[in-house]
Amino acid sequence: MSRDAGRFLRMSYVVASVAGVAFFVMSVALLGIWPGHVLEDETRTMSPEHPLGLTVSEQRGRVIYGREGCAYCHTQQIRYLHADMARFGSPTLAWETRFDYPHLWGTRRIGPDLAREGSTHSEDWHFAHLYAPRTLMADSVMPAYPSLFDGSPDRPRQEARDLVAYLDSLGRARELAGPEGEAHARTACQCPDDEMAQMAFHATALNANPARPRRQGAAPKLAPAGNLGRGQQLYAHNCASCHGARGEADGPGAAALHPRPANLAGHEYTVDRLGYVLWNGVAGTAMQAWRDLPTQDLAALARAVGGFYVAQQQPTVPVDLLDLGARVYKANCAQCHGDAGAGDGSAVGELRITPADFRGARPSVAESLRALRNGVEGTQMAPWTGRLSEAELSAVAYYVRGFYQERP
Amino acid sequence: MSQNVSPAATPAVETRLVYAHGLAAIVTLLISVAFGILASIELLVPDLAGNPAWLSWGRLRYDHTQGIMLGWLGNAFFAFLYHAVPLLTGRPVTSARLGQWIFGLWNFAVVAPGWVLVLAGFSQPLEWAEFPMVVDVFVVIALALAIIQFLPPFFRRGLEDLYVSSWYVIGGLVFTLLAYPMGNFVPELVPGARGAAFSGLWIHDAVGLFVTPLALAIIYYVIPAATRRPIFSHFLSMLGFWLLFFLYPLNGTHHYIYSVIPMSAQIGAITASALLGVDVIIVVANLLLSLRGSGVFSRDVALRFAAMSTIFYLVVSIQGSVQAQMSVNQAVHFSDWVIGHSHLAMLGFATFAAAGGLAHVWQRIPWARYNARALDWSYWLLFAGVILMVTDLTVAGLVEARLWQSAAPWLDSVRAARPYWLIRTGSAIPIAAGFIALLLGLTTGPKGAGLQSVEQTIGLEPVREIAPRLAPAASEAS
Repeated sequence: MSRDAGRFLRMSYVVASVAGVAFFVMSVALLGIWPGHVLEDETRTMSPEHPLGLTVSEQRGRVIYGREGCAYCHTQQIRYLHADMARFGSPTLAWETRFDYPHLWGTRRIGPDLAREGSTHSEDWHFAHLYAPRTLMADSVMPAYPSLFDGSPDRPRQEARDLVAYLDSLGRARELAGPEGEAHARTACQCPDDEMAQMAFHATALNANPARPRRQGAAPKLAPAGNLGRGQQLYAHNCASCHGARGEADGPGAAALHPRPANLAGHEYTVDRLGYVLWNGVAGTAMQAWRDLPTQDLAALARAVGGFYVAQQQPTVPVDLLDLGARVYKANCAQCHGDAGAGDGSAVGELRITPADFRGARPSVAESLRALRNGVEGTQMAPWTGRLSEAELSAVAYYVRGFYQERP
Repeated sequence: MSQNVSPAATPAVETRLVYAHGLAAIVTLLISVAFGILASIELLVPDLAGNPAWLSWGRLRYDHTQGIMLGWLGNAFFAFLYHAVPLLTGRPVTSARLGQWIFGLWNFAVVAPGWVLVLAGFSQPLEWAEFPMVVDVFVVIALALAIIQFLPPFFRRGLEDLYVSSWYVIGGLVFTLLAYPMGNFVPELVPGARGAAFSGLWIHDAVGLFVTPLALAIIYYVIPAATRRPIFSHFLSMLGFWLLFFLYPLNGTHHYIYSVIPMSAQIGAITASALLGVDVIIVVANLLLSLRGSGVFSRDVALRFAAMSTIFYLVVSIQGSVQAQMSVNQAVHFSDWVIGHSHLAMLGFATFAAAGGLAHVWQRIPWARYNARALDWSYWLLFAGVILMVTDLTVAGLVEARLWQSAAPWLDSVRAARPYWLIRTGSAIPIAAGFIALLLGLTTGPKGAGLQSVEQTIGLEPVREIAPRLAPAASEAS
């Protein structure tokens, strides 16, 4: 008996070996193949009928993204967690990754997740950022990729264009699916009781990347007296690289951006206007939105930014000059900037970037004259020196200041 | 069973192959560490040397981890196998000629071209699988040849009453060959989330089925060979071994917790991760009990490396079980905590085992130079470096995790990590010095000094006679 038992024990390695192989096969089956089937099923049922894949350029960009190890600092995988959703938007659904050969999920975040990066930053921002990241964010540790350029961020090679095209495609398929797509996916999910799965759908407010600019949208009312110290710190960390340490649009990143960042020292802003821009960004420009910041931080920032404007002695402007300004404005400016200077003229729909809103931002005369004489590069604001006389330019520069409406 | 392995019949060890792989291990180690140090410096000085493409962070990172896994650990494991397999089985490895082929393939068709191709921009963006697929083909070929080289002696001897190191060798080689294609080829064929599921399996299998079994094979070998006492319990050895091979592969999905991968698969992997911690406690208890009397800080540096590796193994595994739990994972995932964890595994556990294994086999190459003092320095420098680095990165991870949970802008977490990254780069000083000392330990000093140091530390006894003592089962079974 004991001899038999001993023999059996000595032979037990056979059983164990078979079990070992079986467990390995089981791991592949249970954690690879079976989830694969579930995910494939989910992809089939939840995906819109014709999800948009990547263009040839975007595919090339994807190869560059892989080659440079971007996925080792930037995940493309928003988890089903509120902290992730608040920063990056809706959790990643299976069907969104259906064209990813191989996946680029990543396991480390030194930089932010990029699953919903598309339309968050403008092309000029991406070029400047890839060429020299620290001009836009002084404390960034992102590698610079000058080899994708011919010596300046304004001269991207095809590789840089491809990479930026790819970055801009991230999250696009889900977005194009639209509310119908979300509703379809939600029905197909058949998971009304699955709290986690529902997170992917119910948080419509979180659907977009909170850094993504939008053309219109409500903004929270900011308290007029934010914490100045906190605001200055936030400004120094997040804004000064482009807008300059004193708000004079002369930060190291300013030169590569088209249009250049706003000259904060040359405008008097209402708190509402600052709140609106911080909350919504400026679509079409490098100014991102900051919806992930708490409103007291936004109020603090608004306070700090408001402090850059140095109130000047108001010269008494002769009435006939203002009359001239009004005529010039009506004839040449109102089409875009609107009759009341709200940036809502009849041509606005044609413009990539919304024109300046003079009600919320009162430019200094010098600032207006600069824009009138030189135009605003990267926008449809052209130089007016050929069309208007010096007197007319001055007149309109004074005139637009009158639109400003301090909050009651 | 002892009649199967009579001391007189102990076959000659292919010492030249041991030596070649050992040296290649240390050379590739130093290069891989240089990649790592450069990458860590670039987090502090991102615009290093004008940002040439081949020196960019991502490419350095790829070469660092692949070099450590394949170059350093791969070569060190091979060096150990050429020494241990003949002594464990009483039979020579299949062919010295084949050994030259494996050596050539591994170093000149895998590691060297892999590095160069990655720097030139040809790679694969998959974790622990960064070398391009053309290199992967040679890895698979070399692994298949290694199986032909090392496994027949075990089969010729018979699988009954094998010492546990033998099982780890067999299991490690066979399962690595099975798992390797899963992480390196499958995600190229299966897209997105589905591919990620397989990637997750490989991320864990690379550590669990390649690094861990072969490192444990070394520890299980060195402890009884250096203490001249059998392992505490052959039963616990075997229990630990089989549980490890049952549980390790089931861990993979814990790299993607809270992802879209089905929750039941995630829960399964989390459960397996917790159970794995239990298994490691069994393994480590058995190893530490085998060390009774010699202590963790033995005078024999090879044994000391192996003993500390055991401790690191315990800590890193318990940490792994804990961080796989959802409540912990949701906070520390993606942070430097995990980088600390992986360094505790690869630099603490695996590297200490490999260094101990190398020192042990070096002591037994009669014509090899051996510098006990340098090795002693190596041990303490590495010990200090690992502790500093892992502690630092763990704290950094907690700081990052806390900021990510808050509403602070993303860049705040980068800013907060900077002092920790500075310390991490600082920890490279003792670590790099420790590795240089390791190189000196195995290339300077008098020839044959290794054997002398063995005699001084554990008493004079012909080294060849150690082999049969490794199989405690022989006495237990009879």
